[in-house]
Amino acid sequence: MNLADIADKTVSLAEKSGATQAEVYAVHVKIASVYIDDDIPKIGSSMIESGIGLKYIIGKRIGFTSSTLAQERPADVVERAKSLANSSSEDSKFVSLPDPKKVSGSPDKFHDKETASADSELLMEKAMEVVKAAASSNVSVPNGSLRTSSIRYHINNSLGVNTGSKGTLIFGFFTAKSQDTGGVGEGVQRCWSREIGTIDFGKLGEKLQSQALSVLKAKAFKEKWDDAVAILTPSEGAEMIYDLVASAVSGENVNKRSSPWADKMGEKVASDVLTIHDNGLSEKGLLSSVVDDEGVPTQNTTILEKGVLQSYLFDSYNANQLELPSTGNGIRRAPRELAGRFSMTPSCAGTTMEIKPGSKSVEDLIGEIKRGVYIEHFAYPLVDPMTGAFSNEVRNARIIENGELGDPIKYALWIGNLFDSIKGDMQIANNLEVHDKKIVPSIAFPNTELVGQ
Amino acid sequence: MLDTMTKVIDDLSEKDVAFADIRQESHASTQILVVNGDLRRFSRATKAGTVARVLIGECWGMASTSEALTAEVCKNLLSSSAKSAKANAKFSRKNLDFSEIKPIEKSVWQESKVDPAEVSTEEKLEFVMALDKGQKIDDRIVNTNSVYNDAKRIFRLVNTAGSRLEWDELRTLAIVQPIARQGERMHFDYNVKGGRAGYELIQQIDPDAFSAECSKGALDLLTAEKPPSGKMTVVADGGISGLIAHEVCGHASEADEVVKGRSFLTGQVGNQLGTEHVTMVDDGTLKEASGSYPFDSEGTPASRTMIIENGVFKGYLHTLETAGLMGVNPTGNGRAQDYNRRIFARMTSTFFDKGDWNDEELIADTKDGLYVIKAMSGMEDVVGGGVQCSALKGYIIKDGEATQLVRSMSLAGKVLEILKTVDAVGNKLEFWGGSCGKGEEDFLPVSSGGPLMRAEMVVGGG
Repeated sequence: MNLADIADKTVSLAEKSGATQAEVYAVHVKIASVYIDDDIPKIGSSMIESGIGLKYIIGKRIGFTSSTLAQERPADVVERAKSLANSSSEDSKFVSLPDPKKVSGSPDKFHDKETASADSELLMEKAMEVVKAAASSNVSVPNGSLRTSSIRYHINNSLGVNTGSKGTLIFGFFTAKSQDTGGVGEGVQRCWSREIGTIDFGKLGEKLQSQALSVLKAKAFKEKWDDAVAILTPSEGAEMIYDLVASAVSGENVNKRSSPWADKMGEKVASDVLTIHDNGLSEKGLLSSVVDDEGVPTQNTTILEKGVLQSYLFDSYNANQLELPSTGNGIRRAPRELAGRFSMTPSCAGTTMEIKPGSKSVEDLIGEIKRGVYIEHFAYPLVDPMTGAFSNEVRNARIIENGELGDPIKYALWIGNLFDSIKGDMQIANNLEVHDKKIVPSIAFPNTELVGQ
Repeated sequence: MLDTMTKVIDDLSEKDVAFADIRQESHASTQILVVNGDLRRFSRATKAGTVARVLIGECWGMASTSEALTAEVCKNLLSSSAKSAKANAKFSRKNLDFSEIKPIEKSVWQESKVDPAEVSTEEKLEFVMALDKGQKIDDRIVNTNSVYNDAKRIFRLVNTAGSRLEWDELRTLAIVQPIARQGERMHFDYNVKGGRAGYELIQQIDPDAFSAECSKGALDLLTAEKPPSGKMTVVADGGISGLIAHEVCGHASEADEVVKGRSFLTGQVGNQLGTEHVTMVDDGTLKEASGSYPFDSEGTPASRTMIIENGVFKGYLHTLETAGLMGVNPTGNGRAQDYNRRIFARMTSTFFDKGDWNDEELIADTKDGLYVIKAMSGMEDVVGGGVQCSALKGYIIKDGEATQLVRSMSLAGKVLEILKTVDAVGNKLEFWGGSCGKGEEDFLPVSSGGPLMRAEMVVGGG
C-alpha cells in the first residue's frame, strides 16, 4: 500500500462526499518477535498490518472510523465516516484540524535499517544470548520476549497537511527464576531502544541472573518506617513520575479540569532539582519522529524547569480551545504496541519524557542516606495521578542504612504521596536509561513510608 | 472463506509439522465518549486479519497479516510460520503430540435480545449524554466522562486435526467516571457495567441512578481519610476478592506457568491451600459474562474449571499444548489478544465461589477491620505468590459497623497465608467486564467479581 496515495485519495473522496474537513492517518507496521519459554525460543513470529483512520467533519460534527481495508474499499470507509458524522451531535469545542507547518528533518531520521530488517531468526539469536548469560545451575529463564517494530505513517488533511514519518524500536522483557533450598526468587529486566545494535544482550542476561540471585537472599521486611527515603531504579521511577507528570500537564486534562496542575502555570510544583522535557525529537526516544500523529512538527517542550511549571502539552484539538499552538503531542502510537494504532484518534499525550540528570552517581545518593531503601522492582509501579497517592508492593530491594546498602528485602509496601514527595528534598542521579516513553535516571524520593508484612 | 482456509491446511505438506492452524478474525466496534457534556468521540473501528501457526518439535512459528484472505495469503503465512518454527526447533528438546485432538465442525452465533447494530445511533448517543448529565449532581463535580462501547468479533478457524469452526463474540460496555474537586483535593470514582451481551445489557441501566451514585462516591472521597497501614482483618468486596482470585491464584493456575515450574502452584494438586470456605473457579461459560466465549483461540470449547474446592487445590487452566504435556483434557483457555498476538493459557471469569454469609451479617460479625471496596488494579506474582491489589476506597469497621471512609490503598501479603485466614464468604456473586494482561501486555476481555470475603491482609495507603 502506498500510504501517501491512499491517504490523499481517501481525503479527496471524503471532501467530494460533503466533508467540510477530513483527515486520514495511514500506517504500515512490520513486527518480528521471539518468545522465550523455559530457556528455549518457543515461538518465532512475523506480523504485517496496514490500516487507515479517517476523521470526517461536517461543521462541528465529527465521525471517526478505521479499517485494514482487507474487506472493504476506501469509498466504503468514507461512507461509514460520513454516516457517523451525520448522526453525531456538535462538539462545541472543536475548532479545526491542524494547518500545515514546515517540517524540519528527514522522515527517515529516526528509522534504523538494521532494526527494521530484523527477523525472528535474528531475534532468536539475540534472545538466546540473554538466556545463555542468565541461566545457571539454579537460575532459569522461564519467560522472555524480544520484539522489533518498524512503522511508517502518513497524514493527509483537507487543510494541506501532507506529511509522515518512519521509526523503529526494539523491546525486550525477560524474567529469571532462581531457586535453592530456601525458596525462589525472580529477576525482571527490560530493554528498549530505537536501534538493535545498541543493546548488549549478554550484559542484560548477566544483570537478570544477578537480580534473580539477589532476590533469593531477600527476606520479608517486618518493620514499619514512617519517614524513609526511597531510591527507585530508572525502570520503576520512570513509570511513576511519568504517570503523575504526563497526566498533570496533559492539555486535555487541563481543559476538562481534571489536572491538579490546571491553574499552576508558572508556579513551583516540585523541587529545584527536577527539570523535565517532553522531547518529540529525542535522539533515543522510541516515539521520536519529525511530525506527530496529526502531522504537526514535533518539538522539545520544557515542562518543568527547576521545579517550576513551564508548559502543558497540546494536540491540536486542545490547543485550539486555548488559542495556543499545538506542541506536537497529538499521539496515536505507543512503544509497547504499534499494531492497531490506526483505529485510535489522536490523544494529547507525551512523546519522550526526559528528566535532566543530576551530577551524582547512584552510589553517591546512597552514601548520603541515613535510612532508606533502594528499590529495583515493584509488583508494578503505580500512582494515582489525580491525588499522587501510591502504595506499591516491593518485590526486590535493599535496605540503606548509614549510607550503605544493606540486606535485600521483599514483600514490603512503599507508601506515600508523589506530589508531596517531589516537592521535598528529592535527589536525581546521573544514570539515564530508556524505558518506554521515558529517559530517566534513578531518583531518590523523600518523605515516604515503608511498611513490612 | 472457511473453504479456502480448509483447502490450504489440507494441502499442507511441510515435513516435521506436528500441528498447524489458520485463524481469521474480523473486528468491528463502536465507541461513544462524552466529556463534560460534549461528544468527544463517535467512532466505528473495523479491522481484519489472518494468522497461521505451525508446530515443529516443541516450537511454534506464527505469521499474521491484515491482507485480504486468499489461498495464496494463507499459504504464505503457513510457509513463513514453518520457517520460524524450524529455526526455533533447533533448540527443541521433545516432540509434542497433538494426535489426540478431536476435530470439531461447528458454527456458533451469539443470540442477543437487542443487536446493537439495530439500535439507532440517536438512541445510543442519548444514552451516553444521559450518563454524562447524571453525573452533574453538585458544582464540585468538575469533570464528567461517559463511555459506551460495543464490539463484535467474528472468528474462523481450521486446523490439521480437522476442525472447522466459525463463531462470534459480542460485548457491550458502559462506563462513567466523574471527578470531584474541592480546593486542592481531587478524587474520582467509577461505575462500569459490561458483558458478553447485546444492547439489552445497556437498556438495563438507569443512567441517572448509575451516574449519580458514582458522583456521590467521588464527592464522599473529598473528605476521606488516609487508611491505616499494617496487617489487619479485611473484608474485601466482590471486585477486590475477584482481583485477588484473578491476579494471584488465577495467573499462577495458568498451566503454561506450571509445565515449566515457574508457578508457585506447581505440584499443588490435592493439597489443602486454604480454609474450607475457599472455592475458586474459572468459568468461560458464564451467561453474559465478559470473559465467556464458545471457543478459545485454538478452537477448544470453553469450560468451567474447578481450581480450588473447599480449600483443596484441584487443577489448572490449559491450552492444547499444556493439556497434552500434563495428560489432561484441554480446558479452553488458550487465548490470544488478536491475530497479531500469541496464544497462551489465559483466564476467562475467575472468582471465589459464593459462601453462606449474608453481606450485612458478615460486616456486623467483624469487630475491627477494614471494608475495602472498588477494585482498581492488581499485579500477578506467579513465582512468589505475593499479592498487590489496589482499591479506590474503604470503610474502617468498628464493632461490626462500617464507619470512617478512607481512600486509595493497596492490599498485600502471601496468598497461601491469606487463603488460610479466610473465615467468611458472602452469598452473593456479582461480575463486571474487565480486561486482563499477562506479562504486562496481551490484553483480552475477562470478567472480574465474586463474593464478599474476609481474611487477614497487609494494608497500606498514601
